[in-house]
Amino acid sequence: MLKEMQDALIAGKKAEVESLVDRALAAGTPAATILNEGLIPGMERLGVQFKANEVFIPEVLVAARAMNAGLAKLEPHLAKAGVKPRGIVVIGTVKGDLHDIGKNLVAMMLRGNGYKIVDLGVDVAPEKYLEAAKANGAGVIALSALLTTTMVQMKAVIEAVEKAGLGIPVVIGGAPVTRDYADQIRAHGYAPDAASAVEEIGRLIAA
Amino acid sequence: MTSRELVVATLEFRNRGRVPRQLWTLPWAGLNWPDELRRIQTRFPDDIVTCPAFLREPLRTTGQEYEPGLFVDEWGCRFENKQAGIIGQVKEPVLRDWPEVGGLGVPRERLSVDTGEVDRFCAAAEAFVLGKTWSRPFELSQFLRGPEDLYVDLAERPEGLERLLRKIHAFYVEEMELWASTAVDGLVIADDWGGQNGLLISPALWRELFKPLYRDYVEIAHRHGQYAFMHSDGNIEAILPDLIEIGLDALNAQLFAMDVDGIGERFAGKLTFWGEVDRQHLLPYGTPADVRAAVRRARRALWREGGAIAQCEFGIGARPENVAAVFEAWDEPD
Repeated sequence: MLKEMQDALIAGKKAEVESLVDRALAAGTPAATILNEGLIPGMERLGVQFKANEVFIPEVLVAARAMNAGLAKLEPHLAKAGVKPRGIVVIGTVKGDLHDIGKNLVAMMLRGNGYKIVDLGVDVAPEKYLEAAKANGAGVIALSALLTTTMVQMKAVIEAVEKAGLGIPVVIGGAPVTRDYADQIRAHGYAPDAASAVEEIGRLIAA
Repeated sequence: MTSRELVVATLEFRNRGRVPRQLWTLPWAGLNWPDELRRIQTRFPDDIVTCPAFLREPLRTTGQEYEPGLFVDEWGCRFENKQAGIIGQVKEPVLRDWPEVGGLGVPRERLSVDTGEVDRFCAAAEAFVLGKTWSRPFELSQFLRGPEDLYVDLAERPEGLERLLRKIHAFYVEEMELWASTAVDGLVIADDWGGQNGLLISPALWRELFKPLYRDYVEIAHRHGQYAFMHSDGNIEAILPDLIEIGLDALNAQLFAMDVDGIGERFAGKLTFWGEVDRQHLLPYGTPADVRAAVRRARRALWREGGAIAQCEFGIGARPENVAAVFEAWDEPD
């Protein structure tokens, strides 16, 4: 049934995912097993296909919606069993920048991969990232920028995190951002696309 | 040879002279580098110009497109912006539900073009003149529905999506036919289809839903003896053969988000590449030497007595010396 759930998830079949989650729960499958052996591997397979240009944004979005529907069914059971998310990620588009299409896609894929997302939205000042990271016990701070003129704000966030001695890794991405720039501003991670962001954040959380 | 003749010779792969050029600017460039921009424009005058719209009726918009704040365009799409000199992003969809498609008004004012004025403009111009068309069925659908919902629509294919695309397409066809009836030399299509690594939607879906629309636009231009130009950002290698197949004449694409040399091997001599030079990285962060090397590479890959136009965008973050280097390098002898 879990393999069937993965396939339904990849196909973006929301009602089928919900029904399979219900059936699995009714059959006594622990919620954590459904999540970790059904839904999350489905999203991981989708991420690999997305990176390889085998599926595209529409397929990822409908799968993410199906994932969220499945998660909504599981959440009360996960909470009851004390199952924690894979990690907590504070994400936002940096100060001065209102663009959020890429950031939203990353957040959606992370959520689908079992992370708790604290989405601060757009035009986020450095201190807001810090406050949210502290308040939520974040494992990673993720920054997005579309403009060459706003990506300089990423440096300000990294400096603020360093100054506060939080020790939380910061990962950056967005159209003008490069690995060189990430190195230059001492970002801990860099992702050129949404699928890579999931991998990079997984690496940072596991480290 | 006039600028117009130079561009036509380039599009038809029989140009033994210099590479024609065109600089695109965002208002940001004029705000931040006014003197440098003027110097570049004086040194490297455009061979391609866009005709003013010459509308008899003003467009019903509110706010300023390139100013901070809210700008509502003629379709009712609401753009929010934080920075002067660039365009914002749509935050709220116009069409939350499909029945609203029926009530969606099209901006008829855009069809109030004074064609006599257009013809006079073209007659007075030495440059190759593009009509003030910017047909973008995919982007407009995103603006109207909101990007996320539109992508989900493309996966789920509700009946309303087809109605929306038909409505948009019918408007663009009417607008392009209008401009095609004038003396302009070319018509422009524009939809950003690429992400960093590939197409935003599957090539199969693109071929099914959007390629036929572009085929119609190209056909309109060609039926009137005009050339079809297209702008599309991102990595769009997957659909280059399709754009060639429908007869597109010139494509403005992010060459450096793709494999320039590979594109040259496969497509040089079949399509004119109307720029660009890497505005994501090279123009803001490179040196003039980096830029020159990139232009030489593009020239080697693409130029076949035509097939390339020296074009780049002086947009946000670009260094003026790098923009100048683009045109200096394209002007170098073979």
